[in-house]
Amino acid sequence: MSNAWRLSRGSFSFLVFVLLLASRPPPGFCADHLQTIQARGELLWGADAEGGAPYVYPDPQKPEQMAGFEFDLANALAARIGVKAKMVQNQWDQLLPALDRGNFDIILNGLEITADNRQHAAMSRPYYVYAQQIVTRTDTMGPSDLDGLKGKTVGVLASSAAQRLLQRLGAVDVKSYPGNVESLLDLKARRIDVVVLDLPIALYYAKPDPALKFSGEPFSPGYYGVAVRKEDLSLLAAINQALEQFIRDGTLERIYRRHGLWDDRQAALAAYQPEAVVQRKSISTLREWPKYLPLLLRGALTTVALSVLGMAVAVVTGLVVVLARLYGPPLMRWLAQAYVEVVRGTPLLIQLFMIYYGLPQIGLRLNAFLAGILGLGLNYAANEAENYRAGIQSIPKGQTEAAQALGMTQAQILRRIVLPQALRFVIPPVTNDFIAMFKDSSIVSVITLVELTKVYGELATSTYDYIGLGLMTAGIYFALSYPASIFASRLERRLAYDRR
Amino acid sequence: MIVVENLVKSYNATRVLHGVDHCQQRGEAVVLIGPSGCGKSTFLRCLNQLEVADAGSITIGDVTVTGGGPPRNAEERERQRRLRLRAGMVFQSFNLFPHLTVLQNVAEAPRFVKRMPRSQAEAAASALLAKVGLEEKAGAYPAQLSGGQQQRVAIARALAMEPEVMLFDEPTSALDPELRDEVLRVMRQLAEEGMTMIVVTHEMQFARDMADTILFFEGGRVLEAGSPEQIFTAPVHERTREFLRRASTR
Ligand SMILES: Nc1ncnc2c1ncn2[C@@H]1O[C@H](COP(=O)(O)OP(=O)(O)OP(=O)(O)O)[C@@H](O)[C@H]1O
Ligand SMILES: [Mg+2]
Repeated sequence: MSNAWRLSRGSFSFLVFVLLLASRPPPGFCADHLQTIQARGELLWGADAEGGAPYVYPDPQKPEQMAGFEFDLANALAARIGVKAKMVQNQWDQLLPALDRGNFDIILNGLEITADNRQHAAMSRPYYVYAQQIVTRTDTMGPSDLDGLKGKTVGVLASSAAQRLLQRLGAVDVKSYPGNVESLLDLKARRIDVVVLDLPIALYYAKPDPALKFSGEPFSPGYYGVAVRKEDLSLLAAINQALEQFIRDGTLERIYRRHGLWDDRQAALAAYQPEAVVQRKSISTLREWPKYLPLLLRGALTTVALSVLGMAVAVVTGLVVVLARLYGPPLMRWLAQAYVEVVRGTPLLIQLFMIYYGLPQIGLRLNAFLAGILGLGLNYAANEAENYRAGIQSIPKGQTEAAQALGMTQAQILRRIVLPQALRFVIPPVTNDFIAMFKDSSIVSVITLVELTKVYGELATSTYDYIGLGLMTAGIYFALSYPASIFASRLERRLAYDRR
Repeated sequence: MIVVENLVKSYNATRVLHGVDHCQQRGEAVVLIGPSGCGKSTFLRCLNQLEVADAGSITIGDVTVTGGGPPRNAEERERQRRLRLRAGMVFQSFNLFPHLTVLQNVAEAPRFVKRMPRSQAEAAASALLAKVGLEEKAGAYPAQLSGGQQQRVAIARALAMEPEVMLFDEPTSALDPELRDEVLRVMRQLAEEGMTMIVVTHEMQFARDMADTILFFEGGRVLEAGSPEQIFTAPVHERTREFLRRASTR
């Protein structure tokens, strides 16, 4: 019965997943969006404030307020069309899909004007000319140009211009990070030797840091533009008009000078001529599955390795913790209990950040894979310890007394009598945790690991086929986790010595 | 062989044993009777240290534990374990190890406590199973046996450690009447072979037949002790008489 229930719950959540993907509102549901915005009195602009300086970030002096040159620009733009600006927080590499879903009206967040981005949204005329900057540690003689990067491990922001540039260049081991600060932290932690990033970010985060230096001149200039949905033509026209005015009347220059971002390159803003957009047709990844499935499977390999090794750490550590908690001297009991409570009471994300970015600051540097295994393992160890405790305490007291009466020592009783019997009670919850970790492991993408969900995210943002890729990805997850739960129920039945 | 002096035991504030004295010869079969809650189980559990007494001393063979309280150091812990090894215990609820076969149940302690080689421990276990009439069940799991069979395995398991005294705490109370005889038969046989035993039971006929001495417990004390004839035909105390009258009409 429990098997049927597990199966139906699995397929139910799968169904819900598909429905959620399918219920996305169709584009083009609003005829004149500019009027809607003006009626609403608010221009909603999407941006990511996490590690977002100098674009938009919580003001260090007044953290409840935002600051940044894009924050100022957004206010100026909104004022021009007679409304107030309101920022909508969104993860940076998911800004375009979120715009498409209607979460906000425009994207104003260092989005490059590229052919790719123009497939997915209409781009305004540029408001800033950026360039790429190589950053290294002060104590190294790093590469100072693009060719020098070949053969190196280079940190970049996920989905940034630098990432595309380096991937096109080839022969570079590109490591992508979810935010701007993390790559520089890893550079200082000596996990990587070079970071390439947009000049404004480098100016804000790397320039003032004595441990870091600019290596070589900025290169590969490009434009930031405002993105709007393709059908919002009146809004696009209004924004272009406003930007042109800001360039002419010096508003832009004033904002950029205030943030230390004005340079000679910005002269190109006035002379900008848009290139014609070549329309590509959208892709069905399901039809082209031989191209996409192997990529997903490679991500799945990392997912499996992470969760198997992470669970091994959890199972062993959990045992140590529960033994300390139940049988250790008072101080050890207290420590074990504290461990369980603290780990279970704090988010896995924070624990991962502390292990990956925090430990190097006290001299312990782990690579991302080890940090991922350790983070998942130590987190789940607290759950496993609780599972074991429930299992051990479900063994009747008479068992221990019978063994004591036979003269067995505490350790022998535990090893030969209590733990073997507890095993059977512990297998179902531990299997559930294994399957949960299998899915939870997607969180390690925040420490640069590319596993199944990350691959899905990357492919989906570039192909826009969320459903096709989603079906394939969900299929892989299911195909891997279902056998695990079947195996567990077999094992459980084999150990059912009292129901033969 | 067994000497207990002034054994005192309390649970929290409630005193359960009020200074019990007891003396028993090698080969003597003693039966404890008395009303429910008078401390019979507690007395047995103190003898093999499943409970630690608050005061008094216990001697079984050449091991003496005195003073009460839990062991404070390795030496006291070792002495406690040696006392335990002198006594075998059979519980009302059998307490067989459900994850081990019948043979493994019996061979477990000899192998891991006495460090006997496996083949030797299993040969000895087989012999003991034959003695309690269960050699053909050696490969079965406890859940596949009847209650009477389980209790006989439990007796064989305790005997495997070659204790100097066997303690039985209501070994037949959890059994259907038709299963009691097979267990009582094994116990009677043990007594005839000269095993030193202390049995807590409500089986008055059995007590009368096999006991050398009967102790009547009440309120955490030995109220009366004597031969079966003495206790059953001419009890000294009114309480004893009343208990026996009620037991026989039940
Ligand atoms: N672990 C315990 N904690 C507190 N009180 C207990 C505990 N074990 C026993 N007692 C109490 O001690 C008293 C003696 O219990 P004991 O089990 O020795 O009685 P008994 O003579 O074996 O009774 P029965 O014939 O019902 O088995 C009872 O009042 C009981 O409630
Ligand atoms: Mg009792």
